[in-house]
Amino acid sequence: APAIVRAQAPIKWRMQTYAGAALGAEVTKPAVDYINAAANGEMEIELFYADQIVPTGELFQALQRGTIDAVHSDDDSMASPTPLQRFGGYFPLATKHILDVPVLFNQYGLADIWREEYEKVGVTWLSAAGQDPCNFNTTKEITSLEDLDGLKLYTFPTAGRFLSQFGVVPVSIPYEDAEVAVQTGELDGMAWSGITEDYTVGWADVTDYFLTNNISGAWIGSHFVNPQRWADLPEHLKQLVMAGIEAGHTYRDQWYWGGEARLRAQGDKLKLRTIPQKEWKTVEDAALTFWDEIAEEGEVHAKVVKIFRDYNEVIGNAGPPYTFE
Amino acid sequence: MPKIIRGFVRGVDAMNYFIGRFAMYLIFALIGVLMWSSVSKTFFEPTLWTLEMAQFIMVAFYVLGGPYAVQMGSNVRMDLFYGTWSVRQKAWMDAFTVLFLMFYLGVLLYGAIGSTAYSLGHFTGEPFAFFWDLGVTLVTEGPAAAKDKMGFIERSPTAWRPYIWPVKTIMILGVTLMLLQVTAEFFRDIGRIRGVEL
Amino acid sequence: MPYEMIAILMFSSMMLMLLTGQRVFGAIGFVAAAGGMLLWGTGGADMPFSAAMKLMKWYPLLTLPMFIFMGYVLSESRIADDLYKMFHVWMGPVRGGLAIGTIGLMVLISAMNGLSVAGMAIGATIALPELLKRGYDKIMVTGVIQAGSSLGILVPPSVVLVLYAMIARQPVGQLWLAGVIPGLMMAVMFIIYIYVRCRMQPELGPPLPPEERNVSTREKMRLLSAGLLPLIIFAVMMVPFVKGWTSLVESSAIGAMAAFVAAVLKGRMTREVFENSVRNTLGISCMFMWIILAALGFGAIFDGLGAVKAISDLFTAQWGLDPWVILILMQLSFIVMGTFLDDTAMLVIVAPLYVPLVGDLGFDLVWYGVLYTITCQIAYMTPPFGYNLFLMRAMAPPEISIRDIYRSIIPFVAVMVAALAAVMAFPQIALWLPDLIYK
Ligand code: NA
Ligand code: NA
Repeated sequence: APAIVRAQAPIKWRMQTYAGAALGAEVTKPAVDYINAAANGEMEIELFYADQIVPTGELFQALQRGTIDAVHSDDDSMASPTPLQRFGGYFPLATKHILDVPVLFNQYGLADIWREEYEKVGVTWLSAAGQDPCNFNTTKEITSLEDLDGLKLYTFPTAGRFLSQFGVVPVSIPYEDAEVAVQTGELDGMAWSGITEDYTVGWADVTDYFLTNNISGAWIGSHFVNPQRWADLPEHLKQLVMAGIEAGHTYRDQWYWGGEARLRAQGDKLKLRTIPQKEWKTVEDAALTFWDEIAEEGEVHAKVVKIFRDYNEVIGNAGPPYTFE
Repeated sequence: MPKIIRGFVRGVDAMNYFIGRFAMYLIFALIGVLMWSSVSKTFFEPTLWTLEMAQFIMVAFYVLGGPYAVQMGSNVRMDLFYGTWSVRQKAWMDAFTVLFLMFYLGVLLYGAIGSTAYSLGHFTGEPFAFFWDLGVTLVTEGPAAAKDKMGFIERSPTAWRPYIWPVKTIMILGVTLMLLQVTAEFFRDIGRIRGVEL
Repeated sequence: MPYEMIAILMFSSMMLMLLTGQRVFGAIGFVAAAGGMLLWGTGGADMPFSAAMKLMKWYPLLTLPMFIFMGYVLSESRIADDLYKMFHVWMGPVRGGLAIGTIGLMVLISAMNGLSVAGMAIGATIALPELLKRGYDKIMVTGVIQAGSSLGILVPPSVVLVLYAMIARQPVGQLWLAGVIPGLMMAVMFIIYIYVRCRMQPELGPPLPPEERNVSTREKMRLLSAGLLPLIIFAVMMVPFVKGWTSLVESSAIGAMAAFVAAVLKGRMTREVFENSVRNTLGISCMFMWIILAALGFGAIFDGLGAVKAISDLFTAQWGLDPWVILILMQLSFIVMGTFLDDTAMLVIVAPLYVPLVGDLGFDLVWYGVLYTITCQIAYMTPPFGYNLFLMRAMAPPEISIRDIYRSIIPFVAVMVAALAAVMAFPQIALWLPDLIYK
């Protein structure tokens, strides 16, 4: 927050996103642009990208202390000190499609849990939305589960914890360094995103294969704000910020949904590979065990896992297009 | 110069020399960890912990070794003018500019303490009160009660998931030692101005 | 405060701080901390420390102490002596031959090391005394060693190009390959300059006296084999990396280990050599790391206060200009800043600002990496602030004054600027090799 405030100067927020500049232009910037344009000079959000102001690992503390005013990130990447850290980003095989996420938050009660848990640690949670599935893009070909053994992959902490049982070696480095890390040999690829991001951020240029099996159907990420900064905002600007975030969600839903289909069908940089569904069943079963483990970790964990279970039961009974078969 | 100041300078020099000499050999720990990383990857399974371990060692290497490097005079200066001054003139200027360096180190230390408090689960932004409380509890009620004062203990977001507070504690220690060394340098400059070599 | 004001205020106070001659990391760090406290607002005081966490996660920096250690082992143990003798005997009869041989030595050292420290140390401890003894002009040879050693960051492996790769998000392999031909070209240009200069003024570089030249062909061939050592170290370090068996940081550790083992096998790893290598590695690594720590904090605060945006607006406001004019302006500003700032500070403060702009202008970022590195080489040796200048001052014998050192670099900087212009005008000098291998 700027210390020098002039009369009628716009309210300024510094916002940092978990995404690098190329991805951030699609996942975070549209909402910011909308808010800045609609605020008509009353408010201005300055957007910064991954690790630009503070390293992503320090992002949460920076948000609490007001060093950064607002954040767009998943709970896992920003090392959230809440139990929700396990569920943000990619909770293994908990969702199938991008729209599952807002439904889970707005119809199945995740929003209340998120709001409550973040309030406890001094951060205001505003809104969550879905993004792309978590596929693999690698320099080495994957056609069976055995091929995962020994692969060094850039992935989310919780996803990495889950994948390590298949021999994956999860590597954690700053987001913007991942592409070069493939070239310096620190990584064999990523289990981080769908194919749209692979092409957008340049990962498709350094890896050769894309595995169509995903370990989660949609990323879960949120907008957060420093409580004091939120309280200082006049009501009409609060409404405006929320509307801008919703507009960003809508844009993103379409960008990913269209991108995933088009680039799988027409992209020429990554060769598609698939592990047969029969074999992949092992991973799906392992995910259910993993859910049980996570549910054991605490009350909130159990509550969230139960919601995922209930929802998956509903879509399982509903059948396609909610499920794949 | 007062005896106590001589003692301080000598004490700080000796302590940082000792710690710096220890940090100096961490280069071999660094080489060892990275060599093990190459070996295990080639012959066994890639390791989860080597890159991060190397990063922690590197932090200890440069943070704990920093004060010794100051003793050795390894820190470069832009000596366009500085290089042409006499020892006394340099001492005058240094005695003044070292205050800026102390300010920087102080801010760095403040951030390190806040961040370490965070990594021990303190979220309300009063790190000094937190550590005081923690210390008092530890002394009066024992380790278990002190543990209860802590909240969510920060872990690195990696598969290895090491706790972060040890490396942050090393940084607090290193910056503190640096601050002491720089204070000793300040006294040394004052000494030079008065014509005494400390 | 307007963004432009913040930019000017922070930059000028940093310059002022630097001119007082205080420790560089203190100067940069103070402006960062003061900017954070006074201009940022809530939470600004946490910024300098959060740079420490950023630094920790920047994994290519692990190569820094490795390459520094390797450089000191190579120079302190004097295993490069044979190498120097080889050039000495083979090039001795030529006018200026020893200086030309020194450039050759520097190219080989550069291929074993990612920084210029090793070349400086070896040049100053081995080559310089010999050259002076043989009556070479002290100003010329001082320049030869500074310029030659700066090839360390252009000829692969190069730490500067790795850090650039991280900022520009360009492939390290291609960047390193792109540095090969410009590096060799620059070495040849140095050699041509020395040769021509010594033709015109023979007293600058007398040929060896005949009695020193009478070396048997067998001995000559034996010395030639000394050239194998750098090739072996280069191969042990680079082959596993290029093959994808080891990562970059692992390879740098293998290189450090290889140099250490070579020194032990040659019986040169005495207690004193060990002590000097390890202690100097700590000293130089700490110098670099504390500067980068301060500069990362400065960069983040500068950026967060909107000053970066102000400077790019300045450039974007000039969109009407030809992209080439903007590029040339950038390189000029880099060279000017390079005289005052060190290359690590430039890398974390200025590069994040320029690199995306260069990409937007439609230039090739691998090619620009080479331009950037040459500019860093120039920055290394232009007064008042340059590592090679400092190292030279620390290592040179007393008969070489600061004035001599400053004067010595003039012709070589001119050659470097010419090389820079050549690579700008003919991008294929840099891009031909990576294109050949990767396309
Ligand atoms: Na090199
Ligand atoms: Na310079």
